[in-house]
Amino acid sequence: MRHLTVENIMTYIDGQSLLAEKPAVEQHLSSCSDCSELRQELHSLVSHLQRDTACEPPSDLVQWGVELFQPVMQPAAGGRIRKIIAALVFDTFEQPALAGVRRVGAPPRQLLFRAGDVDVDVKIEAMEANDRITLVGQVLSSGAKFFDNTPVKLESHGIVRYKTRTNLVGEFSFDEVPKDTYHLSVDLPEGQITLFCVHRAAA
Amino acid sequence: MEAKYKQYTDTELVSLCLQGDSRAWEALILRYRRLIYSIPVRFSFTSADASDVFQAVCLKLIEHLHELKDETKVSAWLITTTTRQCIHVRSQRFRETGGNEDELEEPADPSENVESIRVQVEEQQTVRESVDQLPDRCRQLIELLYFDNRSPSYEDVGRMLEMPVASIGPTRARCLDKLRTLLRRRGIK
Repeated sequence: MRHLTVENIMTYIDGQSLLAEKPAVEQHLSSCSDCSELRQELHSLVSHLQRDTACEPPSDLVQWGVELFQPVMQPAAGGRIRKIIAALVFDTFEQPALAGVRRVGAPPRQLLFRAGDVDVDVKIEAMEANDRITLVGQVLSSGAKFFDNTPVKLESHGIVRYKTRTNLVGEFSFDEVPKDTYHLSVDLPEGQITLFCVHRAAA
Repeated sequence: MEAKYKQYTDTELVSLCLQGDSRAWEALILRYRRLIYSIPVRFSFTSADASDVFQAVCLKLIEHLHELKDETKVSAWLITTTTRQCIHVRSQRFRETGGNEDELEEPADPSENVESIRVQVEEQQTVRESVDQLPDRCRQLIELLYFDNRSPSYEDVGRMLEMPVASIGPTRARCLDKLRTLLRRRGIK
């Protein structure tokens, strides 16, 4: 008997081989190592496919994930602003808590973002009493330059919620804003630096 | 989504994302949506918790895009991050119900440890990616026959793909053979 085709083997795996053909297929499989190997491979492939329990997430959830990127990162219509996403290089919440240290309320969160030679230092303090946060920061360059009078924006859900400007030494502050997921952007002459999810709303 | 984005490697997509290309981000999310979501499902999470994990991982991915630009294996990063997020959520839920955290070493099914979840999810992603690389007709057929929750009959498949029922078997055989070749190249037999 010539080698079995993939179709012959698949029909056999499905249990759909004609009764008259089945003994011949089985006999060939027991004597031909190539076909036997192919049968095993196909069997395993079909098992992989059938075992695929990787559930499809709800489409609105996927859409949420897709849209997450758009509010801040899509270039403005007609604009040629260079957008740079700052990398998070330090986060106190990623550090282990100091042993034996107790405090009342949540500790302030200190974050450091970096984009090229520009650092943005951010401290976020939660106001438990009124469910708000205060976000203060400073835009620094590795050189001696200060970024004064620089626009800083706080965006959430695709909308700029708050705007301010840096002071003479590059400091800015957003006092007691409602807790929400915020992206912060700093408009420098070189381009706009974005700090993604500088604060996240609690789930 | 434009077809070319489907062909980009992870590194290319990450790099495009960092240039502000939202279509590259969409391609990344679409490529890995099942991988991310399947991990909380394997942890036997409710759909609400699985959705929370999915959202948290998307946010983390955006935050860490910079670190991933030289990473060839975004999938490995996602598996690790999603698994950690699942463990975090599970431990939160356990604490909320007053459970003992020592019992949290393993996922809900003790026979399935975290490492085996990782291996299975990675393998599954490879299979899905290989299916995505098949010619359109083959991909549609395989998806309908093996991934469609409605389990359509051959008659239904024939109608949907406008092909005679009698040709479904031979076409499936050819498509599986192509898929087998693709998977072999990626080390899965």
